[in-house]
Amino acid sequence: MPPPQAVISGNGDERRTLVVIFLRGAADGLALVPPVTDDHYYRARPRLGIAAKDAVKLDDRFALHPKLRALESAWGDGDLAIVHACGTEDQTRSHFEAQDLMEHGGVVAGGWLGRYLRTRPVESRGALACVAVGKALPECLLGAPAVTVMQSLEEFSIAGRTPAFGSQLERLYAMQRGQLGAAARDTFEALVRIEAMRTTTYQPGNGASYGRDEFAGGLSQVARLIKADVGLEAASIDLPGWDSHFAQQGQVEGLAGRLADGLAAFRRDLGARMATTTVVVMTEFGRTVEENSAFGTDHGRGSALWVMGGGVRGGKVHGAWRGLAPENLERRGVLEGYGDLPVLNNYRNVLASVLTRQGATAQGLAEVFPEFALEPLGLFGA
Amino acid sequence: MAGAGAVVVAGSGCGRVKDDVTDLRRWIGKPTAPPLAATLTPPSAKEIDAVSHVVNRLTFGARPGDHARVAAMGVDAFIEEQLAPQEMKDWICERVIRHEFDTLADPEGTLFPRKADESDPLQQLFPAMKDRGARVGHLYEFKDKVLLDELTRATVLRAVLSERQLYEVMVQFWSDHFNIDPSKAEAKWLKAADDRDVIRAHALGNFREMLRASAVSPAMLWYLDGRVNRRVKPEDKPNENYARELLELHTLGVHGGYTQQDVMEVARCLTGWTVRDRKKFFRGRVEFRKFEHDDGAKRVLGVEIPAGGGARDLDRVLEIVVAHPSTAQHVAEKLCRRFIADDPPAAAVAVTAAAFAQSGGDIPTTLRALFATAEFRAPEVRGGKFKRPFHFVVSALRATNAETDAAKPVVDYLVRMGHAPFRYTTPDGYPEAASHWQSSLLWRWNFASALAANGIKGTNVEADKLRERLGGDEGLMATVLGRRASDDERAAYQESGAGLALLLASPAFQHC
Repeated sequence: MPPPQAVISGNGDERRTLVVIFLRGAADGLALVPPVTDDHYYRARPRLGIAAKDAVKLDDRFALHPKLRALESAWGDGDLAIVHACGTEDQTRSHFEAQDLMEHGGVVAGGWLGRYLRTRPVESRGALACVAVGKALPECLLGAPAVTVMQSLEEFSIAGRTPAFGSQLERLYAMQRGQLGAAARDTFEALVRIEAMRTTTYQPGNGASYGRDEFAGGLSQVARLIKADVGLEAASIDLPGWDSHFAQQGQVEGLAGRLADGLAAFRRDLGARMATTTVVVMTEFGRTVEENSAFGTDHGRGSALWVMGGGVRGGKVHGAWRGLAPENLERRGVLEGYGDLPVLNNYRNVLASVLTRQGATAQGLAEVFPEFALEPLGLFGA
Repeated sequence: MAGAGAVVVAGSGCGRVKDDVTDLRRWIGKPTAPPLAATLTPPSAKEIDAVSHVVNRLTFGARPGDHARVAAMGVDAFIEEQLAPQEMKDWICERVIRHEFDTLADPEGTLFPRKADESDPLQQLFPAMKDRGARVGHLYEFKDKVLLDELTRATVLRAVLSERQLYEVMVQFWSDHFNIDPSKAEAKWLKAADDRDVIRAHALGNFREMLRASAVSPAMLWYLDGRVNRRVKPEDKPNENYARELLELHTLGVHGGYTQQDVMEVARCLTGWTVRDRKKFFRGRVEFRKFEHDDGAKRVLGVEIPAGGGARDLDRVLEIVVAHPSTAQHVAEKLCRRFIADDPPAAAVAVTAAAFAQSGGDIPTTLRALFATAEFRAPEVRGGKFKRPFHFVVSALRATNAETDAAKPVVDYLVRMGHAPFRYTTPDGYPEAASHWQSSLLWRWNFASALAANGIKGTNVEADKLRERLGGDEGLMATVLGRRASDDERAAYQESGAGLALLLASPAFQHC
């Protein structure tokens, strides 16, 4: 590519992109990354436990859900890291409270990713610095200096817009202060930039082939933006539907397959650019260690968080882990017999490590995660 | 807005459906563009006046002539009119709904069972009251996509056409409050009944009754897993999904003072309530199975519920949570956020909460108190609410007196803006605050452009005729904006080459 990046970003730095994938509904970390050598696991889940013989072995403690097999090569190449027993300090076990806390990065206005982007130098900002793939702005991007919400690049234009109409609209929005004025400016800017990309069709690289589902489609849009060097710093995509209270096996299998296939295609498509692209996969909390009477699991605490690419020290499950023996679980009330997987690794310590790799300073991190004593996990570097 | 003309008496039998549609079309010319009032005097104040403000907030946007009508009757009389929808005539809307939608107007009465006297407006508004829960199973005979499509279209059309505007606004409010994503399992058939029997039946009724209806709504039992909340063997644990949202979202609010233990105890109280699935006889029927109920003693929010309560545990729980002061506070806060400001003034919330508590959850009484607060009437809040996309789209259709079928082309715009009815996945419902919606500008501008240029299939605006009826450009601008245009707006309108589109896309029209 010629260097449009220099034109857009105003600097010639090698740009790093962060892709945040949120598994909404509380993904069952104990199904996705089962501790297959822990007998307590099978005791708590006599019907739902993932058998070691079906799973993809990771190390002497953990395995991957069989439907995540597409990620085996990323793990083997040392490009995929997992942090288990990870989550927030939120005790409500409410999807919305936990998602809010996680996406806001604390009890604080705006989202952690939005605030992080605000700490970036002004000259590197553009309307395409950040894209949310979907219909709505996720909470983690609230307060971002520039964010474009879209489902596909193809849809991004104003039907029948004439220069006079556009300029008069800009004139009225230019007088708007605050968030709305900023949102309007971002929209006008993004319109111009994407217009240039819309005219070509996309060929994924390295023979990668994306599935036809919405999640895979979204990932391919992100890959396209990364490779087009339009200055993308952050992108977010949701994969919803993980709230598996009832008969969860089929539900988890379908979602896990989409997650793994999408990520594998994305990694293959980006090829060498994965070195500067970091993917984080997170969920608001995990699920009860014990299965319920309806072949499902209820709201729990710790789950698994994943980091792929960007030079991560992969092929390793990072962070603390104490197993599923009842005495190591978190009690929730006198009625609950078993307890939940405790949060031994605060999600902020994972994100802090990731953002440091992206170029965040210590001062920047303090702004992103205020009122929290960070102890970043060493996910990157030697 | 006033429903002019006589109530048309309908006959019975399938044949009449077609006849009535033909009749209606002949009578008003078009299926869905109600006639404009005789007096269309546009607003004349420089800023949004009290009349425009009340119309802005209580409705999905002013139609041409609304300002003149409300100014003539007075805002307080208008508020009272809107608080008593059962007293209003709304025959155009009702007839369009009945005759455009098979699922809602099935002569067998699947969704709108009509019995006895059809001219009784109470029955038109709350038909389900007469025949609650009847024939819910018939919904399974429709394709689920047809149900979602018709329910969505009917919701848009009612918002555009109905004279009972505040009622429609409250229908949306409660649809969010008791949100159900019909894409989950059999809720795809049953949400239509929830819309009728829970939301529309009680939107301007009593909160406690609405909550009771919601708790045993077949769609809710599917959506939040109440269906599988049971205790057959002693080691069975209750499914807490509904119990949690009942406390967190529907009543007390997340910081309302309940504990994890309360969630579990509420779930125990509700064990045994279930709905028959589509593989069974009497599919869709809600029942209480005593042998699946945990009949031990419980303690909810500090109140003992003795053992042996059986099905009565449900009512006991609802009594306890509705009476809890956090519920009044939570509902009042949400109402004030909707009607006053994203950051609701505490004084108005207190007044509204008190009215809610004292009236036992009577919704008109609660709203009457809210609308009487100084905070609601304060000039500073006027024009300060950012319309959610649905509100924006409907207000544009109303302001332009558009004729629309509310079909896919219109709904697609709502999908793009992230605000199509019945498509919000999680039980907290679409958010209210402006910050969630500002990224939808591009599609608002697109919609404005397309609407004014008659580029939306199935929707038509007669812009020239409208401008003429409103006395020219000044009248059109003032009608759309709810006040006289500013100098900048006037200049932009003239220089844009697409004046009406520009008005609808302008910052002022995104607000109410």
